[in-house]
Amino acid sequence: MEHTLNCKTEKYCPRGSISLRSIRTGTAVIEQVNFNKKHISELKDLADLDGFYTIRTLVTTSDSKEVEFLSSVKAKYFLGSGLSDVINAWVLPNGEVMAVTFQVTNTSNGNVLEATDAEYEINSKFYVNHVDQAPVPDTATYIQKMEREREAKEKGDLKDNRPFYAKYWMYIVPILIFVMISGAANPEPASQPSR
Amino acid sequence: MKWFIIFFSLINLSVCIYEDQIGKFDWRQTYVGRIKFAQFDTVSTAKKIIVATEENVLAALHLKTGEVVWRHVFENASPGNIHLLHVGEKITTVTGDNPMNQSPTLSATGVLMWEWTLMLQDDSRADFSEWWVQNGMLVHMLPVFNSHLEVTMYNVMSGSNRGATSKLPAIWNNEGQVICICVLTAPYYTCVSGEFGSQILVSMDVTANAIQMISKPLSNIIEGAVGNLRALDGNSVIPGFIVDDKKIVLIKENDFNVLNVKVEDTLASASIADGARGPLVLQIWTNYAKGYQLIAHTLSGQLIPEIHSPDSFLDIPEPELLAVTCARDQLACRLLINAADDAVHLVQQGGVTLWSREESLANIKSVEFVDLPVSDADAALESEFDQKEGSVWWSFVRRLQSQYQQLSAAVERLRSGEVLDRGSASLHRDYFNLHRIMVLVTEAGKIFGMDNLSGSLVWRLYLPTLSGARTILLRRAARHPHTAMITIVGTHTDTGNGYIVTLDPITGRMVPEHTVTLDVGIMQCMTLQETGDDQLRALIVLDEDEAVQVYPPSAASLVHNVHMYVADQDTGRVRGYAIRYNGREAVAERTWSMSLGGSGPARIVAMSSRSRLERVRSPGRALADRSVLYKYSNPNMLLFVVEKPDPTHKEVVTAVVVDAVSGAVVGASSHRRARALPLAVHADNCFAYLYRSDKHRRVEIATMELYEGKDRWSPAGEPFSSSASWRTPVVERQAYILPALPSAAAFTITERSLTDRHVLLGLSSGGVVEVPWSLVEARRGAAGEESVLPYLPELPLTADRVLSYNLTLHRLAALHTAPAGLESTSLMLATGLDLFYTRVAPSRTFDLLKDDFDYYLITIVLAALVLATYGTKYLASRKTLKMAWK
Repeated sequence: MEHTLNCKTEKYCPRGSISLRSIRTGTAVIEQVNFNKKHISELKDLADLDGFYTIRTLVTTSDSKEVEFLSSVKAKYFLGSGLSDVINAWVLPNGEVMAVTFQVTNTSNGNVLEATDAEYEINSKFYVNHVDQAPVPDTATYIQKMEREREAKEKGDLKDNRPFYAKYWMYIVPILIFVMISGAANPEPASQPSR
Repeated sequence: MKWFIIFFSLINLSVCIYEDQIGKFDWRQTYVGRIKFAQFDTVSTAKKIIVATEENVLAALHLKTGEVVWRHVFENASPGNIHLLHVGEKITTVTGDNPMNQSPTLSATGVLMWEWTLMLQDDSRADFSEWWVQNGMLVHMLPVFNSHLEVTMYNVMSGSNRGATSKLPAIWNNEGQVICICVLTAPYYTCVSGEFGSQILVSMDVTANAIQMISKPLSNIIEGAVGNLRALDGNSVIPGFIVDDKKIVLIKENDFNVLNVKVEDTLASASIADGARGPLVLQIWTNYAKGYQLIAHTLSGQLIPEIHSPDSFLDIPEPELLAVTCARDQLACRLLINAADDAVHLVQQGGVTLWSREESLANIKSVEFVDLPVSDADAALESEFDQKEGSVWWSFVRRLQSQYQQLSAAVERLRSGEVLDRGSASLHRDYFNLHRIMVLVTEAGKIFGMDNLSGSLVWRLYLPTLSGARTILLRRAARHPHTAMITIVGTHTDTGNGYIVTLDPITGRMVPEHTVTLDVGIMQCMTLQETGDDQLRALIVLDEDEAVQVYPPSAASLVHNVHMYVADQDTGRVRGYAIRYNGREAVAERTWSMSLGGSGPARIVAMSSRSRLERVRSPGRALADRSVLYKYSNPNMLLFVVEKPDPTHKEVVTAVVVDAVSGAVVGASSHRRARALPLAVHADNCFAYLYRSDKHRRVEIATMELYEGKDRWSPAGEPFSSSASWRTPVVERQAYILPALPSAAAFTITERSLTDRHVLLGLSSGGVVEVPWSLVEARRGAAGEESVLPYLPELPLTADRVLSYNLTLHRLAALHTAPAGLESTSLMLATGLDLFYTRVAPSRTFDLLKDDFDYYLITIVLAALVLATYGTKYLASRKTLKMAWK
């Protein structure tokens, strides 16, 4: 891990290192240099220009191939957060690193560091993100669901073998009542007695 | 039963749009591509021109109108390559590259009659093989340089071989180093042989039974010749060629016959045609000052003054004769001419162009929809409201003035009898801003302005040195009183460096002060958001030396907080740049870089960024439990689809969402055993891309949606800042099976994004289907959600969702969308071999009255109501009067 601060001749100089113990769990050991007054003043100069604090990461894989990643944060925000950042490493499914990005946490507190102390510690949090498997069209559960529905339907058909009156009494009863009421309301005139 | 069948067949007719709506909002234009071979069909009664093109299309063009009568689209790329077109009573073609050649024969009406396959043993020299048809035999000749010629003859009808391949000794045939020195003018094969200075022209009739050689020293024909041979164009009736662009040599009666006709121009295209007075030598070329020229001679070298062309009546760049036909009884010829800008013209000898076809439109690189300028009256209104100073009285006076102007203009129009024309003829903005100019940039370097309502070409501009272009809109026509400006950023064909052309998209006139040829290649370009005093957005170009150039240079001080990205397609490396103005000039600083494929090889197949026209309608969506799920509305997101070989899973497709400003990875997902399709779309917080699953052998569409969660990260109204955010959003993902093979994809865009968003898919079967986002959204099937549909693994592509109804659009390459002034409507242009334009209304046309809205009925009802009111009033008053008398 290298950065652009307080480097005398070269563009980048070491800031620290992260050694990843295990990709699966993401446990890592971070060792970083502490910032001194010179670092802070240079960072402040950058912040005045609204410039970028750039970090270069060289990732060495197990077969000793080196891949370079660049990432920048605005110096203003980095100062504002009290030198705390989040390092995200994105790892492809085959274990290769796709990106290492730096972002500043919590820019809202706004207390700009005064270069009073001799040394400042950088507050870094490191996360390993895995590019995970995307979902595939889920046909299996859909078929299962369809099957369950079909079964439910079949079951429903089987259950409903009650007798006719038990099934349709709610329709028959009102009709009966209606017939009875209408019958009571205008009773048939009594038949004429035969002569 | 019979009535039922009739009833249901009627229902079937009315899917999709109504039949009377066909062609109302849409149009289609069919193209065939740059023409390779053409022949007049003189045998059949319906006069046609049969053409075979570089897009592997065999078509018949109408002789009178140039319209496509029928068209066969062969396979793409090498299996469909057309090597031969022979028009006799039947049409014979040879297609496909070795070792598999197809020889289909079609009847004059375009019906396939038979087809047979040729298998060639030796395909190492197949590039040099030649085909022609002679006496009902298909002849295939393969030269083996410095040794012999292999000639095979097949029966055109059956494909049967006449026996073994004959090998004709010809040690004189050789492969030219720089210039072409061997040429076939069927049935003669001619070469220039020997050392420089003592070259001999050798020719041989390849199909003759007895081998006969003709030879002549080249110095007898032309002194100090280099020996560059060029065959005559346009299906010449007598075999012949042009030596060194200077002398025409014919092969007649087994002898070289040097014509006493001067070749007028080094690029002149010549042909021999049968005319009324025997064979004619026709030559065409383009003179820098006079334009297209035509000249004709007899074989003896006598000029025929009747056949000529007037000066500068046509501008045809680098004309080439495709086919010539001359009348038998009079001196009249028709020439089919191919030009360098892929246009094809049918020209009569008198100088009349019967028709022209712009075949470069079959290869469109870039499309931009440009607003038309407002009319003068509207502009006056606009300027009236623009004025901020002045009191109420002044604005009242101005109001009266402009009203007087409008009135006088209306009176003037009435007096001159001109109808109020809102049609396609007047290039002014209509009320709903549906009328646009589409600027189409083609691969041939020709730029067109096309009216979107009618599909007619408004202007055309040919830039022979432009290639690989992309368009950028600098100023919209809305900015009265300035005219619109569009910039085309491409590469110069000669140098490969950047080439920036600026035009007025309404008239097609170049703006010379904004047309620049750079001396370096361009890596990336964009326009600034802020505009200068002249309402022009500056163009920022990042060149290959990582230097920044700003056009116009005076706008450099406006550059701040500008970020760019550059992706290398073949390695998968993506770099980000921040561009700043340091007081003197704009400088680029590399801020981030990543390799999307890890350390190994990878290829970026598709990439999508947010459209410039896109807006965000709402910050979140309501859930069933009355809470809000907030969207991650980052305007700087990019979607990359990367394909990477993998030792265990063959190919792995990775989709990565990157913040272009900070370089942070926002979300990513991978698919094993899949092949990426070059289709990815992005709008708002939605991403969709397509891939072919090798495991299941099907095409799938994967979607992603990004959400902040149920709490807002920043207070409402605060603009999003990529550099200040550090939280990663929740990524919702889903995948669906697509029962078709798409070749193009796009999102619909509307003015305010209030309407639903649909994904438009162009299918290889030739249809454009709209798929509502609610069918493919990533949250589909979420538990306990009423607003989302239940999950269905396969997307239904129903027939009523096909925008192109029953039309087949061949080789759909891209879909371009633009918002209309109406919120409900999005404009869509599908490009490919065909052009298809239509309007899309994703949520139906809620802001428009229906087409069949009954204006008469509502007028009658209103009038009747008014009448009834007055009638009843009168009756009521009479009644009260009567009551009073009682």
